[in-house]
Amino acid sequence: MKQTIRVTVNGRVYQEDVEPRILLAHFLRENIGLTGTHIGCVVGECGACSVLLDSKVVKSCLHFAVQADGREITTIEGLAKDGELNPVQEAFVKNYAFQCGYCTPGMVMTSYALLQTNPNPTEAEIRKALAGNLCMCTGYVQIVDAVKEAAKQQSTAKV
Amino acid sequence: MADKKYIGARSRSKEGPRHVTGRGLYTDDFTLPGILQAMILRSPHAHAKINSVDPSEALKNPDVMAVVTPEDVKRQTKPFKPGRYAAGLKRPIDEYAGAIEKVRYVGEPLGAVAARSRGAAEDALELIQVDYEPLRPVVDVREAIKPSSATLFDELGTNLAWQGSLQYGDIAAAFKSADRVVKENLKIHRYSSTPLEPFVVIASYDAASKRLTVWVTAQVPEVIYDGVREALGLEDVRVIIPDVGGGFGQKIHLIRKYVVLVSLLAMKTGRPVKWIEDRSEHMMAGGHACAQEFEAEAAVKNDGTVLGLRFNEYDDVGGSISTLTIHFTNKLNNLSNTYRTPAIHMIGNAVVTNKCPVIPNRGIGKPGMCYIWERMMDRVAQELNLTPIEVRRKNLIQPNEMPYRTISGNVYDSGDYPGLLSTLLEKIDYDKLREEQKKAREQGRLMGIGIVIGVEPGGRNAARDMAIFPEMKEPPGSGGVNGATIKLEKNGTLSLHLGSPNCGQAHETTTAQVAAEVLGTTPDQISTSIPFDSDLSPWGVAAANSGNNFHLYDIGAIHGAATKLREKVLRLAAHVLSTDPKELTIENGVVQVPGSAMKKITFAELGRIAYNNQHLIPEGMEAGLQATHYYTFPHAKPNIVPGADRLVRAQFTFSAGAHAAIVEVDKTTGMVEVKRYMIVGDNGTVINPDVVNGQVYGSAAHGIAVALGEGFIYSSEGQPLTITYLDYGKCSAAETPRVEVVHRPSPSPFTSVGQKAAGEGAAIPSPAAIASAVEDALQPFGVKVRELPLSPEAVWRLANDNPETERRSF
Repeated sequence: MKQTIRVTVNGRVYQEDVEPRILLAHFLRENIGLTGTHIGCVVGECGACSVLLDSKVVKSCLHFAVQADGREITTIEGLAKDGELNPVQEAFVKNYAFQCGYCTPGMVMTSYALLQTNPNPTEAEIRKALAGNLCMCTGYVQIVDAVKEAAKQQSTAKV
Repeated sequence: MADKKYIGARSRSKEGPRHVTGRGLYTDDFTLPGILQAMILRSPHAHAKINSVDPSEALKNPDVMAVVTPEDVKRQTKPFKPGRYAAGLKRPIDEYAGAIEKVRYVGEPLGAVAARSRGAAEDALELIQVDYEPLRPVVDVREAIKPSSATLFDELGTNLAWQGSLQYGDIAAAFKSADRVVKENLKIHRYSSTPLEPFVVIASYDAASKRLTVWVTAQVPEVIYDGVREALGLEDVRVIIPDVGGGFGQKIHLIRKYVVLVSLLAMKTGRPVKWIEDRSEHMMAGGHACAQEFEAEAAVKNDGTVLGLRFNEYDDVGGSISTLTIHFTNKLNNLSNTYRTPAIHMIGNAVVTNKCPVIPNRGIGKPGMCYIWERMMDRVAQELNLTPIEVRRKNLIQPNEMPYRTISGNVYDSGDYPGLLSTLLEKIDYDKLREEQKKAREQGRLMGIGIVIGVEPGGRNAARDMAIFPEMKEPPGSGGVNGATIKLEKNGTLSLHLGSPNCGQAHETTTAQVAAEVLGTTPDQISTSIPFDSDLSPWGVAAANSGNNFHLYDIGAIHGAATKLREKVLRLAAHVLSTDPKELTIENGVVQVPGSAMKKITFAELGRIAYNNQHLIPEGMEAGLQATHYYTFPHAKPNIVPGADRLVRAQFTFSAGAHAAIVEVDKTTGMVEVKRYMIVGDNGTVINPDVVNGQVYGSAAHGIAVALGEGFIYSSEGQPLTITYLDYGKCSAAETPRVEVVHRPSPSPFTSVGQKAAGEGAAIPSPAAIASAVEDALQPFGVKVRELPLSPEAVWRLANDNPETERRSF
């Protein structure tokens, strides 16, 4: 009863046979072997499994793998190029915007997606955008600061 | 610190690059050939007798490899040794990894399944036939201790599993000479820090060599190591702890049960087995902080001096006896808070109920102790018509009294509590805030200001418990020990092996800064090995990512190991350069006679000699450049073990913080908005400001969220109603205030570089600060805040529905 799907993940095409009940989050971790996408609740509350699906940020635990058939996914592993961190990733490192690191991939993906659509968000906009990504460690201060800094870096880079 | 290059300076995070690229390695990221997936069989009942468990239907699926039943647990494992928190039990009670005859809380594990896929294991669970005989659930603490209540443990004959008291100073004289006795009943609810990564265990058993290896997301290796040995009767045990996705105490204790159950599956099947807890399992059975009720009374003089404090505590410890007194005994750690009060009487009652067992959670009983003090200080001020600031100032321990021995024997190493308070009032512009509040009230807005202060103890001393249980025959270990190894490699870089696992406190970054400082190299030349591996890591009892141990034992061990290695480096260099070690300095990994172009040698050259070139190594010197140091706190005496006077050093370093919460309450909805939250903190010498700030922000955010409604709720039948993050009320970035932190350190005179703790941090005073601020906001209604959480519903009731009824629930 498996179904064959073709999914582009971080620019590479994967063809896999999956059970229809397999969640996208599990597919990415177990079938493709990309373990940077973390699972904290499996019911769409925590955001640790956030990835980009056709450029929009989604919670990969709320999608079945079969729903990604023919579509493009970017995971946390797809942001850095040849060890060169993306500005959002670099800002997270610089600002200590993580502690245990478990929510971090999801936080980075959501922040990245925010800055794609809103390159200069206010603090309130950042906090609202991140409201679907929970962090138990940081109290969010350094995460918000990192997103602000990434926004600044990106706008400087564009000039 | 001006004379330090790396200690106190910003330093690039060593953990960051792997976390932001998804290359952190957590237990669930590992796999092994032939690995099976496990599911845990859990009780749907709060209280029931287990008549039988029949796995035969489940085993019919060829993908199901094994089922563990209560009978297997009883036959193939031994109960855990009664822990020190169960030391007060009149009669020992066996606690196995799974329920045997009875289940005592919803979610209690009673068995497990291993199958070739997670799906098959999930399906199999539903086919296991368990015949339960439901019993009357025991949910309310006050009902639980009535003779008419059903009992959880028939052996005890009562749900009041332990009762005891401890008295310091002349409490009778204090109350006799008081001008007034101020009384209050207070409550704190059940909550947890709910780490984002739930419990995960992998177990692999090699039957031929009787060797068990477990990978586990645990905080304290000793608990796992000892738990597995006790339960399974094995001695060859290896515990590996990879990256841990948040701990906060949750991953210390209860997780050992699951390690045993998963290991049992691995032993039964001869295959490695992995188990991942799901979110709802964690919320119902992963462990909760204890709901605590206090009947408190303070003996006071009219000038605000507190002569004595007495509290009678009722702890709702849930359905296990293994952490019976944990929230009470931990109050010895901050029993005096920041105050000089010369007499304290504590009375404890541990009540078992059909709820999730309590576990250590960020500060354990300490937030409760601080809550008692700070609520009482406000109450004293109200009754004496003094300001809350005056009353606190009147009772604070003074900086010229440091080191200060408290009434229970703690020695406060350093601190300037009046200074913390003054700086806070100045930085937040307290007088102006009171003006604003006046205006706000005129406009009908409910603005409140709460100011509290609290100590944050660090370090460990399990012998503390003997003060509470003088009948304890076998004293638990005293003090703490932990190690570290540092090695200069043949290419001149350094590798560090810590004794502790970490769960997000930047162990790698911070230890590299300390080692670089001591050795005269740069942090980027140092790598720290992870994961923790009990076969390789130099660990002792304080290899515990808990209890604010890192700053004392790990930093102490790194500092010690680096100091030893520095001596070796200098000795070898002096020999090679034909000079005296005293003539040499080390900078950026180069050892040299200052000013001499000739007499210098790099770490890389020394590394090559130490491992490759015997004839250049001085006679009698050990080859290689490696040093291990096991650290114990050198100033732990006297009172490391309590004597007849029960005086004891419960912890060893004392950070402190003064907190200001500015809130506004919406009377129509009961919503509390935190407008500002400021902390003036003393964490001793700050090694890495970003890391310490992160600990303070995070711990404050949690304490604030707890005070404002986060928490576990049970139905009257003992069913947990809050098993998702949403129902539990977890705060997101949108609701969490931006915490402001000001450092005002008083370095410890007793630690390696003056450092003190920061991990439990602001979680200790922040619930009290919010309570104080909300009460102040509601002052126009003359109501008192006695209970947490201050959920919108609770605040609405206070503001709309409470003509200061004496709503004492006991």
